[in-house]
Parts: sequence; structure tokens; C-alpha cells
Amino acid sequence: MPAIKTTALTKRYGGDVLAVDGLDLTVENGEVFGFLGPNGAGKSTTINMLLDFVRPSDGTATVLGLDAQADTDEIRHRIGVLPEGASVYDRLTAREHLEWVIDTKGTDDDPDALLERVGLTSEDGDRAAGGYSKGMTQRLGFGMALVGDPDLLILDEPSSGLDPTGMQEMREIIQQEAERGTTVFFSSHILGEVEAVCDRIGIMNEGNLVATGTLDDLQGDLDLGAPISLEVATVPDSLALERVEGVRSVSVEGTTITATCADPSVKVDVVERVAATTTVKDIISEDTSLEQLFNTYTNGERAGDEEKAETPSPEVSA
Amino acid sequence: MSTLAVAKKDFLDVRRAKIVWFVSSLYLLLAVAMFYFGQNNAEEPEFRNALQSLTGTGALVLTLVALVTAYLAIAGERESGSIKYMLSIPNSRREVVLGKFLTRSGVVVASILLGFGIGTILGYLWYPSVDLELLLGTLALTILFTLTYVSIAIGISAATASRSRAMGGTIAFFFVTTVLVLFGLVNTALGWIFNDVLGRDLSGEVLTFIEALVSPMIAFSRAFNIFLADLPEEAFQDQPWYLEGEMMIVILLAWLVVPLALGIWKFERADLG
Repeated sequence: MPAIKTTALTKRYGGDVLAVDGLDLTVENGEVFGFLGPNGAGKSTTINMLLDFVRPSDGTATVLGLDAQADTDEIRHRIGVLPEGASVYDRLTAREHLEWVIDTKGTDDDPDALLERVGLTSEDGDRAAGGYSKGMTQRLGFGMALVGDPDLLILDEPSSGLDPTGMQEMREIIQQEAERGTTVFFSSHILGEVEAVCDRIGIMNEGNLVATGTLDDLQGDLDLGAPISLEVATVPDSLALERVEGVRSVSVEGTTITATCADPSVKVDVVERVAATTTVKDIISEDTSLEQLFNTYTNGERAGDEEKAETPSPEVSA
Repeated sequence: MSTLAVAKKDFLDVRRAKIVWFVSSLYLLLAVAMFYFGQNNAEEPEFRNALQSLTGTGALVLTLVALVTAYLAIAGERESGSIKYMLSIPNSRREVVLGKFLTRSGVVVASILLGFGIGTILGYLWYPSVDLELLLGTLALTILFTLTYVSIAIGISAATASRSRAMGGTIAFFFVTTVLVLFGLVNTALGWIFNDVLGRDLSGEVLTFIEALVSPMIAFSRAFNIFLADLPEEAFQDQPWYLEGEMMIVILLAWLVVPLALGIWKFERADLG
């Protein structure tokens, strides 16, 4: 039985806004599934329908084999949720938050152990949450999601508000949970974190699931090419790198030359050609980045588009 | 079960809200003032009069205590998004509304009990006699009346998606059914609508009944007929059955149940985006 299954799931707002359009999505038991897409792609609406916060206009959703609308009580006993952009209770301490969730779920977790697990100190735990930073709030939310050792974790934008250390810790906890057999379903518009922890990813765009599969599957499907960047002392006038067989595109930014190759074996030829004309200071060779993949699916750009190589921003907003 | 877990957590939360402490203190201050001025410079101070001042003027303050304590209970959580934490764990939407109603009711009942407690102590200290029967009857009626306002505020809060709308709805309700009623404008308006516009030619008694239907404040003040019926000087002897105190209590009970039920109905169908 899949952990999450939606069939023709649709949400329409008013007459003409189609937030989610006939979504068929299956998340298998025990996998870490990254749910990607730019802001406004329908990720949160989908998650809200799984949690019965929002009712579908059409279609069905099951969570752990249970109907998302009819069996909310049992579902809520067995899952852990980190909602997106939800504030905690300003006047309650972290410990009181955790005790409340433990109480409601009827489990016997130790609040101190949970605090430590998500990186909050005991002193933090006794302070009112109204004085927390965004990152601490997010840690507390994560701690609440972990109460009762859930079978399924649904995390909506888990890394928002976290600094790089926090993001790293979050990834580690996700990996630990996955090793214990917990299914993890999380949404993100930040690509790096998905790459690091996900077994499979799904990409949403404008209410539709435009791709699903492992990272390798998706890269193979698209034939995006392999990028290589060379930092040089001076950029030669007549480089003519494009004429090297197997090079698809070349861009130059400052003293960095980036070439996209059809095949990774062509990278050697690129290095040799550049090294013959100038001094190479550094070589950065990458796999096809998820970001490139993502742009391809969400912007309708295909492989070989030169602009992609020149916009290496870690975040994509719609 | 879950209702109690919601209530327990909500109580921790609301007891730390300064605004609730502020309006509640206002009520307690009023209780002291009413019983002080009731006997100050009076040769034969009447406990009954002081109690009536506390319930009359106090009722207005209590509506505010109730509305302020309850109007953000659910709409506030929807706006801040914390409702998603609430509903991610085993709580149903109905349990959330009922749990919140319990705690907010608990807070205002605590204020009323304190106010009446102060009144009783001052009554024994400063007044020749204390009418315990009247005191307990008035207390019960005051609690029922105040809880209708909690129910209304929770109902509005459950039916609205943001703080501003909950506040707007609550103020509108308070203004029409409380402020305008106190100035007698609702009675005038009802007479104009039914008799002048619709030409129904309703008697003043029927209009008063309609006024009591739309305003818990009127129903509350008329419900006191129950305690005053044995007084010959009161002019409530020959009124129709639908203006009797018992009928007013039925109206108050309806105000206690209906807004809450409507709020739950609306909230269970809402998209919490």
C-alpha cells in the first residue's frame, strides 16, 4: 500500500483558478520523496488536501491507505506534519508545545529528548516561543512533527528560515527518520536539499506534475549535458571552444569559462584546448544540476539553452 | 477527550493574554465600586440595589469581557496559521471549536465568580442584610447571559478567516444588539420596519418580544422578572406569556447553542489555505 496516493486530485478556487489540476501522485512506503516546484505551483495546496485543510474540487487522496477526508483522526495519529509558514503559539514555551502534542497524540515521548534532537537547548525549551527566531520556530515545528514516531512525515518547506547549519541538521534528521523506515514527503523550492536526501522527486508546475522519478531517471530523460567551468588568468580572444566536437554551448563571465558538453568525456578536450592558450587556475566539473533539470521542466527550456548556465541562483521563484 | 486537550492547551495560552486580564480587572473594579457607592452616604443601604447595579452596568462590561476573550479564538489561529499545527494532530475541527468555547467560557465565568465573590464579601461587611437567594439567582442568570456572548464571539471567530473580519463581525454584533438596544433604537427600528414599512400593525409587546429575540441583552434584563414577580410594585404582572422570564431564559439558551452550532458548521466546511 502506498504511503500517499492521489487520483485525479483537483482544486479549483472560484471559477477560474486551477491550483491543482488532476494530480496523480504515488509515494511508496519508506521512500524519501521530494516535491519540487516554484512558488505557486500547487505544492502547498496538494499538501493541504492530503491533510484535509482544503477540500478537493474533484478526485481522491489516500494517506497510509486511509481516506484523507473521512479518516482524519487515524491519519493524524500516524503522521507528523510541519506546516508551511505556520506560526507557533507565542505565549507557550517549546516544552508546552511538545507536551500538548504528546498529550493529544497519546504517546510517551520525552520532551527533552525531542528538544535535543531538533537542536534546541533546555533553556530555549522553557522560553515563550514568541521570542524565537524563524529558525528556532522551524526547529520547534519539526520537533512537534516527530512526536509519536510517525509512519509518515509531511514537511512543507522544511528548510525555510533555517541557516545552512540548520538545513544540514534538518537533512540529517530526515535521513535518520528514513533509515528507521519512516516515509518522508517534503516540498521545497530549494533544489540543493532535495538532491541530497531524496530517493525520488516529483516536479510540480502550474498545478500539474510535470515529472517524477529518481534524479538519474530525470537526467537521463532530458539529456541535459555536462557542464565544466574553468577559471583562467586571462580569457583569450580567440578561443573557438564551440568548434570542439561535443561542446554544446560556451559562456564567459569575468575570468570563468563555462562549457556544456554533450558527453562528460568531452570535458578533457575542453580543458586541453583552453590550457593550450592560457593559464588555467581552477577546474570545476559538475554533474547535471538539479537546478538545470528544474528550469527545464518549469520554464519549458530545453537542453542547450545558453542562459541556463549563466543563472546559477540556488533558488527559483515563479 | 481531544476537546479537553485543546482546552488544556488553550487555557495555558489565554491565561497569559494581557488584554483578557485587563478587561477582567475592569469588571472586578466595577464590582467594588458598585458595592462601595451603594452604601456610601446611605442611611439604609440596600444590598438588592447594589446587586442590581452590578448586574446592570456589569452586564455591559461582561459583554466586552466575553467578546474580547473569545473573538480571536479561531480566526486568530487561522490568520497566524497555528490552526495547522492544531489540526495536524488528532483534533477534529468540532473539537477545536468546542475546546476553545470551554476555555474562554472558563475565563469569563472565573471573572464573574470573582466579581460576585467580592460583592458578597462587601455585602456582609457593609450592608445590613444579604439576600442569598437573589444573589445566586442573579449569578446564574449573569453566567448564562455572558456565555451567550462567548458563544456568539466563538461562532463569529469560527466563521471568519482573519482577525480583521472576526473583529468587524464582533463589533457589528455588539453595536447593533447591545449599544443600539441600550439607546432604545432597536425597538424604534423594529416598530418602523414591521408597522410602518410592512404594515403588520404589531403591538408593543410583540415588538418587545422580537427585540428580546435579536438581543440577548434585552432577554437578560427581562429574565429578571422571575425574581421580581413577587414584588407588588413591579408592573410586570399582566404581561403575555412570551414576555415571561422563563421565555427569556429559553431565548438565552438558544443564543448559547445556535451561534456555536453555526460556527462549527461553517468551520467544518472551510478551506484553511
